[in-house]
Amino acid sequence: MTDVESAKKHGEELLRTKIPQIRQSFSYEDTAYHLPISYALTGVAVHDGKTAMEVFGKTGNNPIVASECILAEQTAISGREPAPYTGFIDDTVIRKLGYSLVDGSILGLALVVGTPRSEGSAAAICRELQEKYMLTFLAGPVIPALSGAGVKLGLEYRLIPLGSTPFYGIHFVDIVARVAMTFGGVTPGDTHRLLAYAAERAKAIVIVFPGLSDEEIALVDGMRVLGIPILSPEGYEGGTWIYAAPDDIVRRGLEEKGIRVNVTAIPIPMGCSPAFEGKSIRKEEMYVEFGGGRSPAFELLKMRQPGEIEDGKVTVIGPEIDSLKEGSANPLGIVIEVAGRTMKKDYEPVLERRIHNFVNYGEGSWHVAQRDLIWVRLSKEAVAKGVKIEHIGKLLASKFRMDFPQLLDAVAVTLITDEAKVLAAKKEAERIYDERDARIRGMKDADVETYYSCTLCQTFAPNHVCVITPERLALCGAISWLDGKIAYEMSPSGANQPIEKGTCINALTGEFEGVNKFVKKASHGEIERCSLYSVMEYPMTCCGCFEAIALMLPEVNGIMVVNREYKGMTPSGMTFSTLAGTIGGGAQTPGFAGISKNFVLSDRFLQGEGGIERLVWMPAVLKEELKVRLEAKLKEQGLEGLFPKIADETTAATIEDLMAFLERVGHPALGMKPLV
Amino acid sequence: MTCEPDFGWTGTIGEVVLGATKADGGTRRVSYRLGGGTTLPFLEKRADIPTPLIAFEICDLPVFWSPIVKKACGDLVNNPAEWAKAAETAYGADIVRLYLTSTRQRDFSDIASIRPAVEGVLSATSLPLIIEGSNEPKIDSEVYQACGETGQGERMLLGTAEAGKYRSIAAAALAYNHSIIAQSPIDINLAKQLNILLKEIGVQRDHIVIDPYTGTLGYGFEYSYSAMERIRFSALKGDTDLAMPMICSSIDSLTIKEVREAGPADQDDMAIRWEFYTNLAAAAAGAEIVCVRHPGTIPLLRRAFADMKRQAGEVQ
Repeated sequence: MTDVESAKKHGEELLRTKIPQIRQSFSYEDTAYHLPISYALTGVAVHDGKTAMEVFGKTGNNPIVASECILAEQTAISGREPAPYTGFIDDTVIRKLGYSLVDGSILGLALVVGTPRSEGSAAAICRELQEKYMLTFLAGPVIPALSGAGVKLGLEYRLIPLGSTPFYGIHFVDIVARVAMTFGGVTPGDTHRLLAYAAERAKAIVIVFPGLSDEEIALVDGMRVLGIPILSPEGYEGGTWIYAAPDDIVRRGLEEKGIRVNVTAIPIPMGCSPAFEGKSIRKEEMYVEFGGGRSPAFELLKMRQPGEIEDGKVTVIGPEIDSLKEGSANPLGIVIEVAGRTMKKDYEPVLERRIHNFVNYGEGSWHVAQRDLIWVRLSKEAVAKGVKIEHIGKLLASKFRMDFPQLLDAVAVTLITDEAKVLAAKKEAERIYDERDARIRGMKDADVETYYSCTLCQTFAPNHVCVITPERLALCGAISWLDGKIAYEMSPSGANQPIEKGTCINALTGEFEGVNKFVKKASHGEIERCSLYSVMEYPMTCCGCFEAIALMLPEVNGIMVVNREYKGMTPSGMTFSTLAGTIGGGAQTPGFAGISKNFVLSDRFLQGEGGIERLVWMPAVLKEELKVRLEAKLKEQGLEGLFPKIADETTAATIEDLMAFLERVGHPALGMKPLV
Repeated sequence: MTCEPDFGWTGTIGEVVLGATKADGGTRRVSYRLGGGTTLPFLEKRADIPTPLIAFEICDLPVFWSPIVKKACGDLVNNPAEWAKAAETAYGADIVRLYLTSTRQRDFSDIASIRPAVEGVLSATSLPLIIEGSNEPKIDSEVYQACGETGQGERMLLGTAEAGKYRSIAAAALAYNHSIIAQSPIDINLAKQLNILLKEIGVQRDHIVIDPYTGTLGYGFEYSYSAMERIRFSALKGDTDLAMPMICSSIDSLTIKEVREAGPADQDDMAIRWEFYTNLAAAAAGAEIVCVRHPGTIPLLRRAFADMKRQAGEVQ
């Protein structure tokens, strides 16, 4: 075992004594970047001992700079090494490499140096790097070892032999430096930009086999400055290197730099596409079913720490499809475990909802409902083609990885078909559902500093801006605050952007400085102010997707709500569609607001108008839909008895009827402060 | 009559260089600075703001090219180099836009043919070049690499990047210092989003030209006009992610019913008129480059632009 820390110290010392000994002048051909690392770091073109000393001093005796200068002199003295060694790689090739990096046809760069104890393990590591679309550079005895194991080398195989000793690994760094200058807009001498670029954008890792000299250890260790992780399978200890088993080392390295390989094809014997999503499986077409009230079933998505789960692993606990009786209902537990650096516990329920879409993507699989209410079917046709329960797991694991590449690094799926185990796991899942409900239910607008915007609809409502808060869903009812947050994290330049709410201008109507500022910008200067909890003053703009409309009825001093499904006339004298045509298109119309149906249940609903006591009319069907929850809400607010006082088309079809009805029942709105 | 439109705008449209002369390491006769505007088109007070440039579109495999154009250009259509030369000398275009339509054949794999095709056009004309590459993810990487490398030093404009397809074009632009056309489907927000994506990958603002997508006059152009107007307003109000020059290509105008079904005697004239009016409208909406396929459209546009510029000058 070599101790990295002490070897590095000794190596740096040796390099320091060698720099003043540089006598010969030197330069590489076919590059506009002189000695690229020195040039990128300091802006100085190094071509002799004097400039080498200058740059070495300027960079605080940096071992990479020292190595670059020393190797350049050595190459000038003894010439380039013979093929297959490439030595210094010229700019034309770098352009092509950089192209592939930006283009995504290679995912990252790796350097493999040293003397592997076995040819086989080196070959396995390099094969894995090839499979993961990494461009790998090699330096030292690892090169003959790979040749010995029959591995083909060369640019076309994405394995590039730099030189006969690990010291040639310095060319790996000069490539990173040149890519930064050519593609990253890093100006020579701008050390700060270079380091930032290398750390954030250059996806590079180093794998070190045993046998490096102290100077070489100092060189390799110096690469950490550029944010390059140094990994080793054997032979070293100490320092800030990462030690991993040979069969895990590539995965660790990629994970360290956040390099993700995209899954493209799902290895299951049935088609998988959104095209199949709408297709249901009828009883006659069904081979087996799970849940739907006929057998216990549930689904759960849980976050795990990276490293706790194995990506793509699918486990079936209990009988497989071939031991299930045709036409039977069977127990099923779908447990999905996910891990990712940016994954958060809050995202669990939102991701869990995707199980529904994904299972339906399968040509012969069908899914409805959620949580412990799920109902899943597999078709006869699919089972005849060889689809097993395991394949549903494969489908889910692949789709989650494909659709959330930024969020998830690993997805493992467990499918439980053993009844006792399903029941036990279901109990645990139900506890988690309760916890989640409590968390979201408890979330208040006042608890967060950031709201989210949605401008998806600007395609047809050019100046519309939805502001989504924990207590106010998007007006379409489809995007919650959490969804907005996740959408932003997954696509930072997309339609959902964070809004710092800023100073509160009016707590009652929900007007915030930050929201106003954002809305003004996102509405292209059209909308100056936006109050989140008011229908009357500066209400939010309306696209065209609102589930319902809340509007004032000045004659009765109240607010009515009409939902999209209701086709009849309302006391306002207008139908939903007439109203929608009047207020849609991205305009702000005081007295009218597009809302989601569930917003009626929010504590913030009509806050600016004095509270839910203003609510005087809703279509009977909407009242029915909200009844249980709305009554509970009213009770919470001490407004028991208000629910039957809210009129509908059966009790009040016109404004005159409504007035008479409200007076008869003694609706509180009549006694409130005048609306206008 | 005096008219002093003052909108209180403070923004400026960023400049993009198209074409490199010998002094800049290329071989072009001219180099253009697109953009630089501070107000609506044809209202500029600065005399050095040019009228919109006219690009003539050619291709290396004319199978799907409009029969009307094939008739008007004759045998030239089978020789991209000669066609490009004619665009410069006979038709009077400012820019040549080469569509590598050969790459859009089914199972195209002859990447080696791209270099000579691009080289041929580059040496036949001294005008700045726009290159339109492949449209197939499997070959995009190699095709754009070849385009970019062949035109290295010429400051070309490479097209066309879209939200789902921009990495290879961006890479070619970055590696070989070209600019890129960023197209979004008539949507200001998607236009901005794509520009941000390009910025994230490293393409600088002064290397992006926006293609807002052009519908034909009477066939959706009003949407394009509205999107362009809003892009330009946002830019002039200070949104730097949209402050780029715009390019419009009215390719659909040669296939609309009025042109397709025109009698043999009128068809040529009809094609020219539709192309002319669509492009005129695009220029009025703010396009810095308009593209035509019929040679007969160029003199009409040239005269109209000159008149509009002169009248705008007189107003002041």
